[in-house]
Amino acid sequence: MNRLLVIVIGILLTIAFCWTGIVFSSYVQLGGLEHYEDEATGEFYPPPRAGIAQRGQKVYQELGCVYCHSQQVRRPGYGSDQDRDWGERQSVSRDYIGDRTILLGVRRIGPDLMTVGERQTSRDWYHRHLYDPRINTEGSAMPSYRFLYEERRIEGEPSGRALDLPEGHRPSDGYEIVPTSRAEALVEYLLSLRLDYDLPEVPTE
Amino acid sequence: MSDSSSNPDYTKQGAAASGAIDRSMRAPVVLFAAAGVFWLLVGTLLALITSFKLHTPGFLGNWEWLTYGRVRPAYTTVFLYGWATNAGLAVGFWIMARLSRNVLQRGTILNTAAVFWNVGVLVGVAGIFFGDLTAREWLEMPGYAAPILMFAYVLIALWVVLTFQYRNSKYTYVSQWYLLAALFWFPAIFGTAQLMAVYAPARGVLQEVVGWWFAHNLYALWLTPIGLASVYYLLPKILGKPVHSYYLTSVAFWSYLVFAGWAGMHYLAGGPVPAWIISAGVTGALLVLFPVFIIGINHHRAMAGSFGMLRTSPALRFTYFAAVAFTTVSVVAAIAAFRGVKEIVHFTYFTDGLMQWGVYAWFTMAMFGALYYLLPRVLQRAWPSPTLISLHFWTSAAGIGLYVFAMCVGGWIQGLQMNNPEAYPEFVDITRNTLPWLVMASLGGLLLFVAHVAFAIHCLWLLLRPETAENRSMLTAEPKTMKVAAK
Amino acid sequence: MSDQKKRNPEDGGGSVDPEAASDESLQEVHASLMRKREEKSEGFPIMPIMIVFFFSALMLVGGIYMANFGGRFDPMVFDETKGPLAAPDEEDPEELDVVALGSRVYQQNCQACHQADGQGVPGAFPPLVETEWVTGSEERLVRVVLHGLQGPIEVRGEEYSGVMAPFGHLSDQNVAAVLTYIRQEWGNDASEVSEETVAEIRREVGSRGAWTAEELEPYTD
Repeated sequence: MNRLLVIVIGILLTIAFCWTGIVFSSYVQLGGLEHYEDEATGEFYPPPRAGIAQRGQKVYQELGCVYCHSQQVRRPGYGSDQDRDWGERQSVSRDYIGDRTILLGVRRIGPDLMTVGERQTSRDWYHRHLYDPRINTEGSAMPSYRFLYEERRIEGEPSGRALDLPEGHRPSDGYEIVPTSRAEALVEYLLSLRLDYDLPEVPTE
Repeated sequence: MSDSSSNPDYTKQGAAASGAIDRSMRAPVVLFAAAGVFWLLVGTLLALITSFKLHTPGFLGNWEWLTYGRVRPAYTTVFLYGWATNAGLAVGFWIMARLSRNVLQRGTILNTAAVFWNVGVLVGVAGIFFGDLTAREWLEMPGYAAPILMFAYVLIALWVVLTFQYRNSKYTYVSQWYLLAALFWFPAIFGTAQLMAVYAPARGVLQEVVGWWFAHNLYALWLTPIGLASVYYLLPKILGKPVHSYYLTSVAFWSYLVFAGWAGMHYLAGGPVPAWIISAGVTGALLVLFPVFIIGINHHRAMAGSFGMLRTSPALRFTYFAAVAFTTVSVVAAIAAFRGVKEIVHFTYFTDGLMQWGVYAWFTMAMFGALYYLLPRVLQRAWPSPTLISLHFWTSAAGIGLYVFAMCVGGWIQGLQMNNPEAYPEFVDITRNTLPWLVMASLGGLLLFVAHVAFAIHCLWLLLRPETAENRSMLTAEPKTMKVAAK
Repeated sequence: MSDQKKRNPEDGGGSVDPEAASDESLQEVHASLMRKREEKSEGFPIMPIMIVFFFSALMLVGGIYMANFGGRFDPMVFDETKGPLAAPDEEDPEELDVVALGSRVYQQNCQACHQADGQGVPGAFPPLVETEWVTGSEERLVRVVLHGLQGPIEVRGEEYSGVMAPFGHLSDQNVAAVLTYIRQEWGNDASEVSEETVAEIRREVGSRGAWTAEELEPYTD
């Protein structure tokens, strides 16, 4: 081991071994995964996300939501994901092929969000939760995202988009809280997080 | 500069004296080390904010750029690419120059690299605060920072290879192998990850596979080899006796490189990736125990009988703390990788505890030790205050101990509660139950903050201190010849 | 010790780590240690044996782990304790266990009415045991399952006037399996029903509503 060339070739071989074993072989296996077409209905699964939801995913990424929320449902018997109603089936590789950026997450400081769009369908709930998480969930450790909302003076009719906030959280009289377009995109994205379709590789029992 | 005439022991023409090498390395080493210490302070501040936010979500919560999801990745980036990498490079360059017995040649390459690397980190961190983060663990810097870093890295690699190739020593030493390994692994993992997870994200969960492959290997095959190079170099040098069972080091070296790269896949346990990928990760984490065992024999049995020296040598204190942390964290990581254990600790704070055990208790402490050893030599002046060194050691040892303890135990309890939906049906209760542990972790963070401020002040003091003749003679005195213990 | 001064230098309380070995000697000593191993042959080297043993043990455990939980490197295996979740384009190469399949189809489709013991519910759902309806003509039996049956019918002396739903959505293989199953279970002892028979009858009859007892009269033998 006194020659540069010998050491370098050896090191490059170890890199090649590991790279082939993990990166390349998963690329071969997963890189060409396609949507599943249900022949009876002609629908493709996972269903594509609407444009606004895709913009919302960008907001999700920008705000670093992944540092507290995962997006994956584990199988029954491994962890308690399904007992907590975080999904009725395990999520598999194919569920993720529609998005440009995948954020599975490794922390659950907050609950899993893989199926949050099925569990919580009210836009108002999401807006309240992002504006101040303590309104919906007492003792929540989530930061509030007030900077996604605008406080403005009511001119003429109050806006239909204004947040319906409980006592103690309302702005002063004559003012209202309205979501910015980023907040609205984020909520559409959260609503689009669903796992209510079947794939051939997922166990049905 | 040639001091070789002063020492008759040199066996090869052109070999330089340690003092001459140290002096010649002053500019690049101080540049990288100073940048590292600067980022260390920034990182500690960000880490404290992150830690406080976990138990006080309203803290500094009104600005988008200071939201948890921005401060946390900024802190990780500053810590890994700012502090750890800068310090690791300073140490690595110095060891490589010393063991190759080369006076610094083409120092401009390194100085330019230092500037570009740190500009790259700065751009990356600014990008994170502006919202361009990739949100992929340990790879958070926006794509536009990568070319700057890569350019700096090419210069770094060029210099190291040249220094090694034109070495003036008859033999190589295990530290040099580990440095070369780190040197070649980094561009492979960084390039792959930038390509497949940032620039042209691969399909679906494949980007997560690549992302975790990168994140784990940034620790296992970039930071760890540099740390090992430092421990392997400093232990025998300070102790004056050789590494125990040295003939096994090449076995450990090659088996470490072969197995360590696979071990990161356990981060996806139970997730939507094929089972074999996770199983391969578990097997990798298990097999890494083989080189870890040998490295442990090398280090700990060399240390046996010399524990008294921990009192007199600050560098040894930090270095040996790091060596113990390396052995323990590798064993714990291997156990925690198994699916049964992972079922409990996955998605909990245990992950963070284990990460800091590796990145701080192991790597950062090794870098502190090496910097305590090399900075006086490079600057030709002694550390002004043993008190500050002691303060630094004890606060950082206690701080990281407290942090790792709180996160690992708290995370374990959190995991048990998460897996018990009957007893803990409300998820928010579980998060709330972790609060005491998070406060404890924050206290550990405060101690680390004290430690780092002490270290930074001490470094500045050392830098501003006049260079005295007495110091110089003491630090450049050519050391003795090591004797092999009689068997 | 002569290096005592170096360890604790009196330069204003400074602190310098000892440099107890030059780089040159560090490399030479270790290089000779590396070579020495080969020369040393006498004695009983315990360390290398321990290392080899440890390595073998780790490889063994790792190998067993991969063999058990490697999922055969199949990208569709997500649960390491089970086989692939589905192999949509692959014919099962093994011989099909007709009785097992039939039993499963029965549990999922028939058991709710005809009960696990095949005795039905008196007055509501007819029994499947010891009756010509089941053990008799295949032709009739297949038609009943494919298209359903409109009462009244008489089974073992009792009259049933309910309706049996059609099960045409089941595959030929499943229909054949479940019929074979009920013809041979609970003491019944009739011939197997083949997939081809089911396919043929399905093709012959096409789509239609539920049969009545009179309509099935021609198919009783």
